[in-house]
Amino acid sequence: MTDLAQNTLDGLFLGSSYALLALGFTLIFGVLRRVNLSFGPAVMFGCYAATWAHLNFGAGLLLLALIAVAGSVLAGAYVERLCFAPHRGGSAIAAMVASFALWMQFEELATLALPRHVYAFPPLYSGPPIEFGALSLRVESLAMLAAAIVVCVLLWWTLYRTRFGIAVRAVIDQPNAAQLAGISVPRTFMLTFALASAIGGLAGFLIAASHEQVTPMLGMWSTLKGLLAMMLGGLGSLPGAVLGGLALGLLEAHSQWFFGPQARDLIAYALLFILLAARVPWMTTRSAS
Amino acid sequence: MDDYAIGVLTNVGLISFLALSAYLLLIAGEMSFGQQAFFGVGAYAGGMLTAMYGWPLPLAALAAMALGALAQFLVGLPTLRLRGLYFAMATLAAAEMARILFELFHFQRQLEGEPVGPDGTQGFRGIRWIFEHGVEPLDYLGIVYALLALALAAFLMVERSRLGATLRGVGEDPELAASLGVDVNRVKLGVAAAAGALAALGGVLYAHHNTYIEPRNFDIMLGVHSLAYALIGGLGTALGPLLGVVLDIGALEGSRVFHGYRMIVFGGLVALLLIWRPRGLLDERAVQWLRRRFS
Repeated sequence: MTDLAQNTLDGLFLGSSYALLALGFTLIFGVLRRVNLSFGPAVMFGCYAATWAHLNFGAGLLLLALIAVAGSVLAGAYVERLCFAPHRGGSAIAAMVASFALWMQFEELATLALPRHVYAFPPLYSGPPIEFGALSLRVESLAMLAAAIVVCVLLWWTLYRTRFGIAVRAVIDQPNAAQLAGISVPRTFMLTFALASAIGGLAGFLIAASHEQVTPMLGMWSTLKGLLAMMLGGLGSLPGAVLGGLALGLLEAHSQWFFGPQARDLIAYALLFILLAARVPWMTTRSAS
Repeated sequence: MDDYAIGVLTNVGLISFLALSAYLLLIAGEMSFGQQAFFGVGAYAGGMLTAMYGWPLPLAALAAMALGALAQFLVGLPTLRLRGLYFAMATLAAAEMARILFELFHFQRQLEGEPVGPDGTQGFRGIRWIFEHGVEPLDYLGIVYALLALALAAFLMVERSRLGATLRGVGEDPELAASLGVDVNRVKLGVAAAAGALAALGGVLYAHHNTYIEPRNFDIMLGVHSLAYALIGGLGTALGPLLGVVLDIGALEGSRVFHGYRMIVFGGLVALLLIWRPRGLLDERAVQWLRRRFS
């Protein structure tokens, strides 16, 4: 019983990191209708920039978080300019393959700057986990959950209470009508990209701090987990991204405990495959915002 | 030719099969993130048949191709009605499942006191058919390219035939094709089986060239690379994917000039190239122009 509760908690914490990644992915997909394979690698680039600053200048945690977010936004802007702005209204496959090409660049750049396979990343809090009855909670996990909640609230506020948010939702629903109404679609694309990359950068920082390490694999990992959570929750739906992320986290925590790490991934992919093949309604009808 | 050049050229040939299988699906309108799985199925099946059961390579290759075709046919049955990203994600899920199953796959036989066969994440070593049968690297290169020429000839023949027009029709506008009496689903299933067989053949050749395979060889990187090769080279002709592979493995890795920076150079070039030509270097228009020019 305690194990079950502990696993559920761990799953929620893990799931909130997936939810953050999926939110970034979904924002980009919702607005551009394009898959950005370089989303994870851009996040990895931000984390590597932070690790580099930590190794060379011993930068503090707050500064590291800022560097991770700024690095991710910078890398995201580069991806947007080179892969998505030129293909606006053009080929979706070309944009996706171009974003994959830049993924290769980020990965090589990361290994050139920091050639070892693994680098330590400072944890948020180095004390023991908080005991809560029979359950134990890590500070990083709580921070992840808190960050996910704060990001969701801020994102909701941005999308539903600001002029920028109206523009984003208009572009998602009716790009042509939005253009006619005087909304600058290219500008909305770029700002959305920056926003999504910032969320990704924050998620990357928290993930690196909770794993206490960074590896070049973080890029592929973030892209795969973000894509998986986004697909599970329904393409282009923001509440779906959060639910998909949490569901993936819970599924992984429980299946890892019962069957081990390889079965954990196998089960997650099998579920995605079965849901896609069965064409469950929330996944194949894409709602907008 | 030195051994290094022979190795690079052999690799170009092997990977071309995978790029061709991605290309075949692309012209039929489906983008797959999962061709690496069928490459892997071919590599494991072919390697097991020659190394563990003593089959001759040609027979093992045929069996592996049949298995690859069957595997992609079965994956295609429930997924080929999905469009675009949904199909891509379904193939990715299938391929990652296959990779994890390779990791869990322990199946060895004692041969002359040595265990031979797939050993999970430890990989599968000792696929030595071509060495035991005195096939020199240069001979093997010849075999790979003869098979590739055969595959390309088949592609070029199909593309000039009615079937080729049907394929492109299904790819560009499935509703229109269906209204003209084409059984779209049947065409796509046929394409899937052929793509699976092509990828598996590449896998068999890869396993016997390398003598060692492991599950990590067949991850999503390989699949997206093959998709990229098809798109960079161009969707106008089956020579396109080959050009894509030659550009990456041949020119960049082979030349050793950009050692350490290869991916940065290649990645940037690809992104810029796709702005200029979103359907690749040898796209439909380029192919038509070339045809008018030289016929």
